[in-house]
Amino acid sequence: MIPFEALLPYGVIIIMFGVAGTGMSAAKLLREGGNKPRVHRDAWDKMMMERDMRLTREYRKQSDEPIAPEDFKTSSVWRASRIWDD
Amino acid sequence: MTTSKTNPREPHSLPYYITDPTPLPSHIPSVPEIGATSAPLLSASYFIGARCAPYSEDFMLCRSQSRTGEMDCLKEGRRVTRCAISVLEDINKNCQNEFRKHWGCLENENHDLSRCRLDEAPLNACVAKFLSLTKVIPDSDGTPINDYETPSYFQKKVKAKYEQ
Repeated sequence: MIPFEALLPYGVIIIMFGVAGTGMSAAKLLREGGNKPRVHRDAWDKMMMERDMRLTREYRKQSDEPIAPEDFKTSSVWRASRIWDD
Repeated sequence: MTTSKTNPREPHSLPYYITDPTPLPSHIPSVPEIGATSAPLLSASYFIGARCAPYSEDFMLCRSQSRTGEMDCLKEGRRVTRCAISVLEDINKNCQNEFRKHWGCLENENHDLSRCRLDEAPLNACVAKFLSLTKVIPDSDGTPINDYETPSYFQKKVKAKYEQ
């Protein structure tokens, strides 16, 4: 029979892995509003998520209204970079 | 793109964000914009495609033949927007619970339609019953989606939920 003191380190390791994994998962769920994180985002997904942000002003909050608020029409943002001619 | 003595690297500069709060000029008729975000829009996309097929084909034809792209085809674009808004209004009126479950599932599963078939089946049934719009995969032979001849175990589960 193995004394229980010999299994304590295993318990410590398992608990530490568990705490780390749970903490990571909880942090991700808190960030994404209860959903799993989006992975493999391509340019289309990034464009749609930026549009979602303009519509709902919160990260990954969705709305299924048919008609958008009036300020959505003029809230587009284009990204450019400066070119210096010197 | 390899940089060398004869090909110096392009200058990288910080992004510069352009915003434009002026509205469209008044000679262009205004149309309400679609207020659905990405997951509900993906969920309703096949039904929007089913109802708005003539308008969207008009728009795509106009845009491919035009000189300046969207600027020549604003009228066709307005029609597409109004049709899509009508589809979303009808779905919200008749099938809102199934719709919300389906796009809630999609939002959890990285917008992967194949992972949300169980929630898609009642939505397809409800929309076929109330709006008479069926989901049809483009460029296929046109069979309805949930019509399997020899269903697998998962397909039987989907069918059971479909005919609840």
